[in-house]
Order: sequence, then structure tokens, then C-alpha cells
Amino acid sequence: MKYVLVAACLYAPTSLVADVNAVVTDHILPAHAAFDEAGAALVTATAACDRPEMQAAYHAAFDAWMGASHIQFGPIEAQGLSLAIAFWPDPKNQTEKSLARLIAAEDPAVGDPLQFAEVSVAAQGLMALESLLFTEREESPYFCALAQAIAMHLAQSAASLNASWRGDHAQVLMRAGPQNAIYQSQAEAQRVIYTALSTGLEFLHDQRLGRPLGTFERPRPRRAEARRSERSQRNIVLSLHALEALATALADADIPETRAAFAEAIARADALDDPSLQGVADPARRFRIEVLQQAVGTVQRAVDEEIGAALGVRAGFNSLDGD
Amino acid sequence: MPSRRSFLAGLLASGMTAELSWADAGGPSHLSAAMTPGGDYVLVGLRPGGELAFSQPLPGRGHAAVAHPARPEAVAFARRPGTYALVIDCVSGAVLHALAAPAGHHFYGHGAFSADGTLLFTTENHIASGQGRVGVWAREDGYARVGGRPSGGIGPHEMLRLPGRKLLAVANGGILTRPETGREKLNLDIMRPNLTLMTEAGDITEQAALPDGLNRSSLRHIAGFADGSIACGFQWEGDPYDGPALVALYKDGSLRLLDSPEDAVRSLDAYVGSVAALSDGKIAVTSPRGGVVQVFDPTLGFLVQSLQADVCGVAASGGAGLATDGLGGVHHVGERLQRIGQHNLAFDNHLVAI
Repeated sequence: MKYVLVAACLYAPTSLVADVNAVVTDHILPAHAAFDEAGAALVTATAACDRPEMQAAYHAAFDAWMGASHIQFGPIEAQGLSLAIAFWPDPKNQTEKSLARLIAAEDPAVGDPLQFAEVSVAAQGLMALESLLFTEREESPYFCALAQAIAMHLAQSAASLNASWRGDHAQVLMRAGPQNAIYQSQAEAQRVIYTALSTGLEFLHDQRLGRPLGTFERPRPRRAEARRSERSQRNIVLSLHALEALATALADADIPETRAAFAEAIARADALDDPSLQGVADPARRFRIEVLQQAVGTVQRAVDEEIGAALGVRAGFNSLDGD
Repeated sequence: MPSRRSFLAGLLASGMTAELSWADAGGPSHLSAAMTPGGDYVLVGLRPGGELAFSQPLPGRGHAAVAHPARPEAVAFARRPGTYALVIDCVSGAVLHALAAPAGHHFYGHGAFSADGTLLFTTENHIASGQGRVGVWAREDGYARVGGRPSGGIGPHEMLRLPGRKLLAVANGGILTRPETGREKLNLDIMRPNLTLMTEAGDITEQAALPDGLNRSSLRHIAGFADGSIACGFQWEGDPYDGPALVALYKDGSLRLLDSPEDAVRSLDAYVGSVAALSDGKIAVTSPRGGVVQVFDPTLGFLVQSLQADVCGVAASGGAGLATDGLGGVHHVGERLQRIGQHNLAFDNHLVAI
């Protein structure tokens, strides 16, 4: 497929600094295929409504989602599925409230996928499933029906994203150019992918780490992502791996600073031994999470300098100005 | 033989400026401040097709500009908290006048002309009291300062004259800042933003605000429709994941937030950078932080969004709207964004229709 890119670049304003084809074929497509597969397995696992079995399938699905969640453009944007797959951050506890409403009313929407697609997005997706499976709940028939409805909707979302990428979006992205309705140049396709990379790193730094860290005077351990299922740390590790894979696929040259910075951040994330990041409230353990956040900041700067600068998309003239 | 440009400059010098129109400045339909690759700052004119009509140097980073309704001159404002504004001849590039904020005041970066083009109004901070002011300058007197009056709140940001009316609208953002602390926000707990309408003589005719619980939503950017309604864009001073919808319509005396689904609200990252009242009656807002342009129907609410890194400037145009970004792109705003121009410039916050 390499020749497609070379041909496209004859008409592109920037030199060959980024490999859109590699991003699509080595990164985006496999990630969405894996998420699709995990979604189907989740549906199977909820059939018998066995909690440990469902919990294991939930973890596998969340693992798979972490491989694709930073790809926030294309089908997920067009179909508006981002929050329906993972409703987080959730400062107003909307997931709890929406689930409580469904359960109290024994809302029959759980029996019909079309109706369930219309309930609050906060009651859909991985975070709703986490709340259902990892808090004390009566395992009533409605509990089972709700778990099955959430699993079914997640699986449909995953299948729909995978089908859209495979169906035509992969080709649309790889065939950027003046005739392309979405990506009007190779440079634009590269910029969109780069934005996914930088936004993913920012989300990791500011939200996954920044939210629970809060301030030293006021740490917010309850704000850690997926803390009930004790996968806050795991999500950070998987997110770093996914973003590193995207950076590596996107850059067509060696990126030594970026590689070193990712290695450092991943080593620190791996070594945390704090699955739900509750150490943010413990001065002795908090320090290691702060250092990890700084290491992610180092990754952000390295990516900006080694990839962003080469693509002519260094961080925001306007977005950082503010007014 | 004198070039056209020096000939025109000569005309200017001899006081024949009244003969010139915007056509003499290359027929721009829009203005924007920008930065060149070398790090210099310019004011540029854009044609409806996205091409550059002119480019004139600025001494520092600009923010917004305002175009005279008839003459090819623009007032370019420094970035907040600036104390200068320049009146630029968009034909010759000459700086016709330099406006200095009066002692104890600074500009907020926006302004408007009176309907007859004789007066310029500017949003200002009276530093000692922290009260917002609207400064008044007389064009016929070489843009002499001729007065000032309350803006109706703290932190007035964008102001405009409603199309076809002698009525001014001011977005009082509600946030107190002081030059010695830069852009640090000093009153977030008690801020009270509002939209204030006043006559050109300064009489406040109407004021509107969001309900009390939303007082941390700072009204910063506005755009006026021909029917007198005003599109409003807010910036939420709180958790970006715990904020309200950020686009509202002021109509018939009340300010109403437009419906927007949660994921669309989150896409704005608590920040609306510019607002446009499009020529097809819809509203466009940008968020450079979210890297997104959203289009709203004034009745139905959110319609559609398009991703575009560092997009901020947006304004009405003949074909609905134009948007500009910090990477040099000029886009047609319709059902989706369509890139119609690419320049070696970083376009600054605001795109202004002439």
C-alpha cells in the first residue's frame, strides 16, 4: 500500500513526515477489530448473568477499548458514540443516577436495543457496566436484563465502529486529497491523526491523572477513572501503550526523545502498585503519581517537538491564548 | 510614474479619503489579525473566496479588529490587556491614528462603530474600580477621545452594533482582572456576567443574564442578527465536565440557552472562542481548545459539529459563514467545514465581517 501514500504526497504541501497508511493499517484497524471482538464476547458472557464471568469480560472489553479510545475522529465522531461507550469524567454522578432511575422504574427499555439506545448515555457503556458489576447490588432479573442491555449496546457500538472503519473510512483517510470530502489533503489527514495523539496525551495528563490528584491540599481519590473495578492504573498503562503505538506509526522518522519519554512514563506507571490511584490522598504515595504525571508531560513536549513541529501543527496559537 | 498604491497614498495625504471605499483595499469581505511564519504580526483582509486582499503590519499581537462601515479603514486592537489600538488605512497600510487607552484604563480587544461611522466605541477596564467602560472616540476629530460611560458590568469583552440599528450590545464577561496580575481571575465566586444593550448615546435599555446558578458562565462573545436577536457564546469557569450549554440566544428581552447534547457540550472544552450569526439564520461557534466548530439552529439548538485544530475566527459571509484557524486555514462553514484557502499565517482569535 506504500505507493498510494507516495503518490498522494506528490500533491501534498508537506514532505513525507508521517505515515497515514501505517496508522490506519497497523493501528486503527486492528484496535477496532479487537474492540469489536471483545464486545461480542461480553454479550456472550452476560447470557448466564454470572457476576465473575461478566466482570472478566468487562475487563477484557475495557482493555480493548483502551487500544482504540484515543481515536476520537471519524466514525466515532460521526456516530456520536464516544460518551455512550465510556461516560467519564462524571463529576455529577450521572451514571449512578441514571442507573438508579432505570432500576427503580424497572424501565422496559432494557428489553429492546432500539429503546435502550435512547436512554441517557450515562447509563450506557463501560462505566455503567462497571457500576452495575462492581458495587453491591441485588442480582434480580432486572439486574441481569440491564447488564445484558448494556453489553448488547456496547457490542453494537463496537461493531458499528469497526464496520465503518473497514467499510470505507480507512480508505477515505488514506486517500486524502482535493476530491476527498472529509480529508482535503494529506497534510490534513496527518493533522487529524496528530490531534488525536496530542488530545489523548492531554486527557491522560489532565483527566486520568489530574482529576484524582486534584491539589495537594485537596486530593480527589473518588475521581479516579474506573476506581470501583480497580483499573485506574491499568487504564493509564494501556493508554500510554496505545498512544506510543500511534506516535510510532505516525512518525516516519526516528523519534528518540518521544521513545525515551514513553519508556520512562510506562515504567513509572507499571511500577505504581496502586490499582485505583487511592494513593493520591497519601502524601507518601502521592509523590509517585505526581512524578508519573510529570513524565507524561515530558512525553507531551517530546511529541510536540519531534512530531508536531515536523507536521507544522505545534500546539495552539489560539487554543493556548484564551480570551 | 507613481504606482497605484502611492497615488492612493497621495490622495489620502491630500485629504481625499472620502473617495475611497473597501473596493480600493482589494475588495476584502473580512478582517483578521495574524502572525507570519517569521513571528511578525499583521492585519489581513480576506476575500469571500478565502484569498488575501491585503496584509498590513501591526506592532504586536492583535486580537480583533473592527471595520469602518464605509471607508477602508479598520481599528485593530491589541491583545488583552492592551492599551493601544491602531486605525489602519487598509489601502495604503498607513497607521492613520494610534489610540491610547486613557490613564487608568486598558482595552479588552473589541469595539464597534456607530451606524453613521462617526463614532468608535471600545470596551475598557477602569482599573481602579474594576468597572467596565465603553470608550467613545470621534473619527472626524482624528479619533479623539470624546467620552466614556459604564458598560453595565465587569469585564466587557466583545461589543457590536446590532445590524441596521443604532443600538449597541456589550458582553460583560463578569470577570475582574488587573494589569498587575495579568489574566488572573480575581472574582470567580461572585462574578455576574450580563448582556447589556445601550443606545449610541450610552443609555442602557436592556440587560439580561443567565439564572443565578450559572453565574460562572462568562459571556464573552456575541453576534447580532438583523431581527435584533443576539447569539451569545460563554466560557464556563469551572470543571469542564460539569458545565452547562455554552450557546444562548437573546431574543425579546430574554436570554435562553440553546439545547445541546452532553457530548457536544464536552467537545467545546468549556470555552467558546467566537460566535457568528450566519447569513442563513443559523449560529456558528468555535472552540480552539476543543478544536471544533458547532452550528446551532436558534430554535432547535445544536445541529452539527466539525473538528478543526485551533479554529477560532468565525463570521457570517455570503455563503453562510467563514472560519479561520491558527494553522492558516480558511474554511467555508456549512453542513461541514470545507477548506477554501490555506495561507502561511496563524490567524488570530477573531474574523470580522466588513
